[in-house]
Amino acid sequence: MLGYMTRRLVILLLSLVAAAIVLFVLLRLLPGDPANALVGVGATPEQIEAARAQLGSDQSLLVQFVAYLGDLARFDLGQSFVSRAPVIEEISRRLSVTLPLTFAAFFLAMLLAIPLGIVAAVKARRWYGLVLSVVSQVGIAVPVFWLGILLVYQFSLTLRWLPSGGFPLRGYEDPGRAVQSMILPVLTIALIMTASLMRYVRSATLDVLDSDFLRTARALGESRTGALMRHGLRNAAVPVVSVLGIELSTTFLGAVVVEQVFSLPGLGSMLLLGIQQRDYPNVQGVLIVSTLLVLLVGFLADILQRVLDPRLRKEGGR
Amino acid sequence: MSAAGAAGPRRSRGGATYLLGLILVGVIVAAGLISFAWTPYALSDMAGSRLEPPSPAHWAGTDRLGRDLFTQLMIGARIALVVGCGAVAIGGAIGMVTGILAAFATRFADDALAAVFDILIAFPTLLIAMLVVAAREEASLGTAILALGIGLSPIVGRITRILTKQVLGQDYITAARVSGTSWGAIVIFHILPNIVPFLGVNLALQFGLAVMAEASLSYLGLGAPPPNASWGRMLQEAQSTVYTAPWGAVFPGLALFALVIGINLLADGLRDRLGRSGRDAG
Amino acid sequence: MTIRSTMSRQGRGYALAAMTTASALALSAAAGLAQDYDPEAVINIGSLYEPQNLDNTAGAGQGINEAFNGNVYEGLFVLTDEGEVEPKLVEDYEISEDGLTYTFTLKDGVSFHSGEPMTAADVKSSIERVTAEGSASSRKSSLAVIESVEAPDDGTVVVTLKTPSISLPYNLSYVWIVNDAAEDISSAEDGTGPYTLQEWRRGSALSMVPFEDYWGDAPTNGGVMFQYFTDATAQNNALLTGAVDIITSIQSPDALSQFTDNPDFTVSEGASTTKELMAYNDRVEPFDDPQVRSALARAVDNERLLQAIWGDYGTLIGSFVPPTDPWYVDLTDVNAYDPESAREMLEEAGYPDGFSFTLDTPDYDPHPVVAQFLQNELAEVGVDVSINIITANEWYTKIYQQQDFEATLQEHVNHRDIVFYGNPDFYWGYDNAEVQRLISESEGVSSIDEQTEMLTEANQIIAEDAASMWLYLYPQIVVSTSNVTGYPLNGLNSQFFVADIQKAE
Repeated sequence: MLGYMTRRLVILLLSLVAAAIVLFVLLRLLPGDPANALVGVGATPEQIEAARAQLGSDQSLLVQFVAYLGDLARFDLGQSFVSRAPVIEEISRRLSVTLPLTFAAFFLAMLLAIPLGIVAAVKARRWYGLVLSVVSQVGIAVPVFWLGILLVYQFSLTLRWLPSGGFPLRGYEDPGRAVQSMILPVLTIALIMTASLMRYVRSATLDVLDSDFLRTARALGESRTGALMRHGLRNAAVPVVSVLGIELSTTFLGAVVVEQVFSLPGLGSMLLLGIQQRDYPNVQGVLIVSTLLVLLVGFLADILQRVLDPRLRKEGGR
Repeated sequence: MSAAGAAGPRRSRGGATYLLGLILVGVIVAAGLISFAWTPYALSDMAGSRLEPPSPAHWAGTDRLGRDLFTQLMIGARIALVVGCGAVAIGGAIGMVTGILAAFATRFADDALAAVFDILIAFPTLLIAMLVVAAREEASLGTAILALGIGLSPIVGRITRILTKQVLGQDYITAARVSGTSWGAIVIFHILPNIVPFLGVNLALQFGLAVMAEASLSYLGLGAPPPNASWGRMLQEAQSTVYTAPWGAVFPGLALFALVIGINLLADGLRDRLGRSGRDAG
Repeated sequence: MTIRSTMSRQGRGYALAAMTTASALALSAAAGLAQDYDPEAVINIGSLYEPQNLDNTAGAGQGINEAFNGNVYEGLFVLTDEGEVEPKLVEDYEISEDGLTYTFTLKDGVSFHSGEPMTAADVKSSIERVTAEGSASSRKSSLAVIESVEAPDDGTVVVTLKTPSISLPYNLSYVWIVNDAAEDISSAEDGTGPYTLQEWRRGSALSMVPFEDYWGDAPTNGGVMFQYFTDATAQNNALLTGAVDIITSIQSPDALSQFTDNPDFTVSEGASTTKELMAYNDRVEPFDDPQVRSALARAVDNERLLQAIWGDYGTLIGSFVPPTDPWYVDLTDVNAYDPESAREMLEEAGYPDGFSFTLDTPDYDPHPVVAQFLQNELAEVGVDVSINIITANEWYTKIYQQQDFEATLQEHVNHRDIVFYGNPDFYWGYDNAEVQRLISESEGVSSIDEQTEMLTEANQIIAEDAASMWLYLYPQIVVSTSNVTGYPLNGLNSQFFVADIQKAE
């Protein structure tokens, strides 16, 4: 197990380097000279040249790449073209919105989806099992922004319980309003995610219920639920855990949309703005940081899966 | 006995959901096909007045330019199906091949491929791809589909790899190998039947996700440009009127909803059928 | 009833929060006068235009003018909301006989937020910031007529011009007077205005509190907070739920019915300077032919377009000059909608079967919708339009800088920008010697009347020449809750003076 973890850690680091390379190449492939974004209206060719020198885009790609890796190693993500502020500062400020948003939604979704999914599978023949399946089907088909707009309509415009969007100027120093403005966005992402997670949980539980070893356990006199609880859940968890990492990364796209619906100053809206303004350092920074986060989650999910599935563990130690 | 007890009701419910899925998808496919031959108005015909509510003349109302929304919905159905099928075909093909290869490969190559999947999944690939789509001069639906398909492929690959490894860990595979069955035969007779049910469900979800992703990107203003009347674009254009002329957002939303649900129900039904025969074969 | 009480409770919550941070200011305002407004109320303003940085010479966008012009920074002159140019930090000024030397006497007792007094040296460095080589100020080219700025003593500034410029005071209203000791004003400020910047959280909000030592009248509120939205619907929701008190400009008429039928809100339509137009590249075929341009202008029903985009709001002006410019004349009859004559003119111009062109369309509202409308209208006269969607940045590079386009859509927000038609190197490349003469000579005249007369003539010429296709003038709509008054209605040049805003108790 320890050997596996070391190996997995090395892979994680290599992945990061690979991701950095891919990003570097992708952003250089984009048309348009970033130097144009730096200089103002009516810039002379000399000014554009000076801007290029400032950006280093007049250097060869190799020189640029080495400088880029060096900067990355020192967590220096450069300066925004538009605001001239250090990218890493802006990102950490934005992360204070996006991380709580994503993780709160993720945990809320797991809290809801796992018990509900199991119930939906075990009680598939009861009316509430059916209702749960239908709800998960319906949930997965609702566009995120649609749900967001619906929640705003109900809880902000009609009931006036919660703010319809925005984030307090002082952030978490104004905890009441900060939490209030997070409730609807978290709920929007969590509900959509619950629906899709529930399907996986239900589907995995059904597989386990039909499996040979559970049938054997039942033949040995255990109740269906009892046998599932004692032997089945761990098996059911394997495919579900493998999906969690993916779910978290789809949540990111969801978060971009939700941040837009609720005007939240998160990482997603920073990326979107960066794309629109061709603010390369910002776009690059957001992509690197979010890639790092999702890689970390994938790493944790893999370790967890090892712990849960003895077959993979055995195979890993061959 | 207990297996039969569990399968029995599932089969009948499976039949019902399968049928419902078939109907929903069927209606949308039909609308998409008919749109080639006939639509109530021409796509760009500003036949009505601004933001008319649904009426006998305009079944789904009109948009800000007085264009018929039902016409746009029909053409949108065609586009949604093309986006979904295209993206899933591309993503599924790349993902399954690489996933199975990874599972069979040596430990090093497996780790490398697994890492590649992780990196690719970790990328907000869809956004990067759309960044490219938005930046290219000739942005088209084709680029969008390709981008979405490539975006989906590592997800399919990762799941395929894990599922395949699970099957490979089973005793009967070892037995088959000992009895001299070739790897190709093992893939066709043992692995595919066992992974297809779970993967099928997943691919259906991916179809839904692809259609939904296109809608989300259009909502963000990064989708395929006009005159593509995709449902996502319609939603985006209706966004500013969502509280005052809700039909502009309600109908494309419902259409998206129906297509995604329909496809998922269809997949569930398929899963139940394939799942049983898969187990029988195993 | 319940809705009201919830709202007022929220409002009080904000006011209390502001008091703790600005308690010192509260003393001066609470002079015991009977007032029907709350001098400590913080005004929450919803806006779609977040500044990109805080320096208006560094490409900060229109949002910085909205938040800072007249509020945090002041100029030697001010363009009032009524469109008048008035002295601000200038006590008095003299113009030499030849119109080439302006001598400004500065107002006494003006100090910067950092506490330093304003001197002539600050004014000199402030003007030079705008005209400096690396400046991205939109007034850089208009101020290029400045030969030199001298500061003979602390209270006097002498500006020498290369050629006479009657618009100098107007152009100087764009120039912020910044403390010359301030180092970086892209994320901090040091101005002379009635407010100081308190905090700016990117992507969210910017707050300002009254400046205690302000030389003029103290603001009638306890501070303002600009809250930024990326989406108009979210912004409207914030107003509906009481999270903001005012929205600076409404971008679509569709949400307005939520406010017009509701006594809790005030909807006001002011004068606008934002023009939507299709600019041809007048250098390239077939757009170098005025007859073709006129034909296309006649092929498009602007009234129907305006109705589609703005419902009952907005105005048709038939040219590039809005009614707030002194040289406005109603030119809607020139090349009015007449598809029949459009077809005839195209035939005369040698295009009996029409032609086709690419319309580079910025990807934000309303341009894509406008492009589709034009595509339909021009198809009626046999002209085939293909729409190419581009981002705002690509627009800047491809069209503004490289001038590589056939036709494009753009909104031009500024006041008095007819001067662009006098510059043959401008992106649309309109080249008419008579117009150039009128526009350049109008700068050198000695009276506003002469200037107006010449520019009115230029305006008529460009209209008859159909230099561009002017589609409509945006409406300028401000919506507020009904207990808030005293805000600017016209928002000229995107300015939004907040010092006189009052919130009823």
